[in-house]
Order: sequence, then C-alpha cells, then structure tokens
Amino acid sequence: MPRRVLTWLIAAAAVAATAQAQAPARRPPDLQGVWRAWNLAKYDLEDHGSKPGVPAGRGFVVDPADGRIPYKPEALAKRAKNYEGTKTLDPVKSTDPFVKCYLPGIPRMTYLGWPFQIIQTPDEVTFAYEWAHKKRVVPINSKVPVPTDDGGAWMGYARGHYDGNSLVVNVTNFNPYTWFDMAGNYHSDALQVVERYTPVNMDTLQYEATMTDPKVFTRPWTIRMTLQRQKDIGLLDYECTAMLDDLGIDHTWPRDFDEEK
Amino acid sequence: MRPRILLAVAMLVATSVPMAGQLGRPGGLAGVDSTEGAAATKAGPIPRRPDGHPDLTGTWNGSPGGVTHTVILEDHPPGFGVLGGKSLIIDPKDGVIPYLPWALEERDRRRDDANGYEDQVGHCEFYDIGRVHQFTQEYMFSGNTFIINATQHITRIVPMDGRPHLPSGIRLWLGDPVGHWEGDTLVVDSTNFNDRTRMSLGGDFHGADAHIVERFQMLDANTIKWTMTIDNPKVFSRPWTMTSPAPMKRIKPVPDFDIEDTCHEGNVDLVHLKNTYFQAHGKDAKPKYGTDTDIRR
Repeated sequence: MPRRVLTWLIAAAAVAATAQAQAPARRPPDLQGVWRAWNLAKYDLEDHGSKPGVPAGRGFVVDPADGRIPYKPEALAKRAKNYEGTKTLDPVKSTDPFVKCYLPGIPRMTYLGWPFQIIQTPDEVTFAYEWAHKKRVVPINSKVPVPTDDGGAWMGYARGHYDGNSLVVNVTNFNPYTWFDMAGNYHSDALQVVERYTPVNMDTLQYEATMTDPKVFTRPWTIRMTLQRQKDIGLLDYECTAMLDDLGIDHTWPRDFDEEK
Repeated sequence: MRPRILLAVAMLVATSVPMAGQLGRPGGLAGVDSTEGAAATKAGPIPRRPDGHPDLTGTWNGSPGGVTHTVILEDHPPGFGVLGGKSLIIDPKDGVIPYLPWALEERDRRRDDANGYEDQVGHCEFYDIGRVHQFTQEYMFSGNTFIINATQHITRIVPMDGRPHLPSGIRLWLGDPVGHWEGDTLVVDSTNFNDRTRMSLGGDFHGADAHIVERFQMLDANTIKWTMTIDNPKVFSRPWTMTSPAPMKRIKPVPDFDIEDTCHEGNVDLVHLKNTYFQAHGKDAKPKYGTDTDIRR
C-alpha cells in the first residue's frame, strides 16, 4: 500500500520535526485494545450527592479548579429542566436523549460504562463502541474539510492527529441534541470538543476532553479520567433499540428534538 | 426536518424498503461489474502482508447491483418495486434454501407484507452477515485481527489468534467470529448468534445455534470472492452456501466513511409498518422479533 506507507512516512516526519527538541522521536502511541470507564461520570460530571439510583461521588471537571461546569447564569435553568424531565420511568417521556437510544455524543459515549475498542491504522483510528454497535472512524491528519452546513452530527465530526504520546481528536459540528451525563448537563450547536487519549501504562489510558461552547459556557472546561483495559473478554454487543422492543416500547414516537431546541 | 435526518431516512428506505428507482441493476451470478472507480486498468497480483498472506486491506463494494437480494435471496421474478434476480445460493445446486418444513412456513409468514414490522432492520437494528455483504465495506488488519467496517453501524472484529469461541451463554447479533487462513483464503467461523436477525426482507432467517463459515478469497488485487456456508440442523435439512451477486470489487476509499450512521434518531417511517401490522393482526397482537426456536428449546 504505497499510499499508506507514504502517509506513515509523512506522519513520522512530522512527529520527528515537532519532537526534535525532545529527542528521541517516537512513534504514535499504541492505544489498541478494549477500554472501559469504571466510574460515576455517566451519572454526573460534577461533584454530587446521591440521587435515585445514583451513588454520590466526586466529579471529573479539573478545569475550572472548583470542579463546576462554567455555565452562563442564564443557561442553568435549562440544565435543571433537563434533569427534572428525567424523573420518569417511561423512556419515551424522558428528556434524556440517551434513554431513547439516540447517539449519546462525545464525550458522553466514552464514559457511558460500556466498553469500546480502539483500532489504529496509519490513516485512521476506529472507535468501536459496544453500546448500540456504534462506531466512529477518526481520520488522522485528514485534509478533508468538515462539513458545516448539514445541521450538525450527533457525534460531531472528528479529525485526529498525534501529539507526542497522545492521540488528539478535534470534534466539531455537533447538533444540539446530546447531553454530557444523566444530570442534564448539555450544550448547544456551538460545541467544540478536544479529546486527548494518553497511555499511562499498559492497562490504563488517561482521557481528557475540553469543551468550548460560548452559547452555554463562560469559558472552556476540561474533564479528566482514566480508562481501564478490559482483558477478560473482547467487545460484545448491546443493541439499544432492541431493548426497547423487548420492553414492549415501540420506536414510533414523534422525533421531538427538532421543535424543542 | 434536518438534512441529516433526511439522509438517515433515505438510507433506511434505500436499504430496507426497495423502490424501483433506487434499485441497482439486477444481480445474478453472471454479475456485471458496475463498480465506480474499480479497476479500469488491469488488476495486478494479489497484494500480500509481511507474513505472506493476502492483504485484503481496502474499500470494497459488497455486491454491485445487489440491492435486489436484500429482498429475496433465491431466484425471483421482477415484481412491484423489486427487480428480478438469480439465486445467490450456489449449494444446493437448485438454488433453493433447504428449509425444514416448519422453517419454510415461518419464512413465508415473515415474507407476508403484513409482518414487515417485525423485520429488525426497519427498527434500525442489526443486519445479518449476508446483508452486511451487500454494502460498501472497509477491510483492514490490526496486528492479528481482521476488521470489517460497514455502513449501518457495523464493525466486525475478527481475532485470528486461534482463540476458541465464546462460552455458549453469550449471544451476539452477528455471532462470535474467529478467523484463520486456509492457504490464501481468509476463513471466518462464527457461532453464538442470537435469534433476532433476518437474512433478507423476504423473511429468510437462521437460528441462534447456526454455524456460519465465510470464505474471503482474493482473485486478484481488485477482486474478492466471498461465500458463506450455514449449518443449522434445527432450521435447515442440510448445510447450504450463498455468495454475493457478483465478486466484491475494490473501490476508491470513501472520503465520507467517517460520517456517523444515524437511523433510529430519524426513524419516523417505522410507524407505517407498525400500522400495517396492527391493522392486519389486531391491536393486541405481539410482534415476533425472534425465531423463538433455538435458545429456548
């Protein structure tokens, strides 16, 4: 595959050039394997007390230092309304888009609690998620521009590159329908996310995500957590909408997100 | 409605509800290569990986003109919204899937339009292995693992390190695939299915304890022959083998392969299938999503 070899060479040269000051130059980090976040982030990214079905625990916001998501004052009411709307046992009535099996967005997909597998090839990094069989193909050093006129994507559009020992994924052009957690933390269509995957040791990745969204937040904010390698079994599957079938819940509700946001 | 949702609906329609204008040319084993960007020039020898095995890395058109076979796998004449096609079944020779009598009855029940609501694909759920092979697919290797990416949220991760299958209690939509080489042919052996997938809109199915063996054989640098043999004695009287309507052809990498697969998010058309179902069966009817044959027997 001459094209791929060439890509590798170019990538290697670029890495070598940027890392010249910190020799020796290194290859992209090996992130491959099945990973899982064993933590409480899926419930609430901020410090929180216990709630129905939710253990109390520390949050994951490392910047700002107070651990709080820097909402604009006028944006907080919507978060409260979001959370209130989750207090129902009927998935169709819940305000949480994830409960209806909609794509959960980034970074929420990372810490849903289901494992995912990272597969690296020279031109792209594939994230295969066990939840609903979803996958994300992240082009590496892609020159293809991200479309900006299509109303945005649930998982955004990803463009990746290696920065030293990290995989950095810039995600832009989100739609405004996804949340960050079950606590109703949310964003607008102005969201931009920078993810950073860095190996800490053989069995641990550090995951960081920085969120910028001037319509909702006063400043960028960052979460940080570790992901553990899953060794005992590979990726299995969880077809979310089939679970609704099994519960006798039809998928035919009107898609209400268009009018609401 | 946002364009992205429109796209999802369009894809759903294009892949699950055949409309004359959207169908490709008729399939058939004689297969005509209508692949865009495929070898206009003469294909070279089989590329090889450092270990000497064929390198299937690339983007492949699952079956030029094969959309018709997501509807019916066997010989079928053209009909309303369906182009005619030759059987994809190459063994037995008569091209007929060797269903046991009860299973043929069940297949025909599913083929009834009134039961289309039960097809999992309309619910944005998983295709079976055969239907996956009608799509554009991206093949790659990562170390000793063979990976298939396809549209409609499909990623198949095939370990080739000689590991055994999962314990039988773990059931998966596309089964548990393990791979090995037989000469130059990549063989993928799958077990541990659930009872939920269907092989075509025409109601074809296998059971949860099916044993499926796929063979990927590179004929030249731009062509892969794919076959799938299904053994499932509770459903079929003998093992049978199908292939794609035409050999798979290499195509240019799809620049937009990174676009997410949305389907359920904009699935506003399922309600029509639902209405048809309940009109036919009464409001208290319970759709049958599984075969209810293997796991529970």
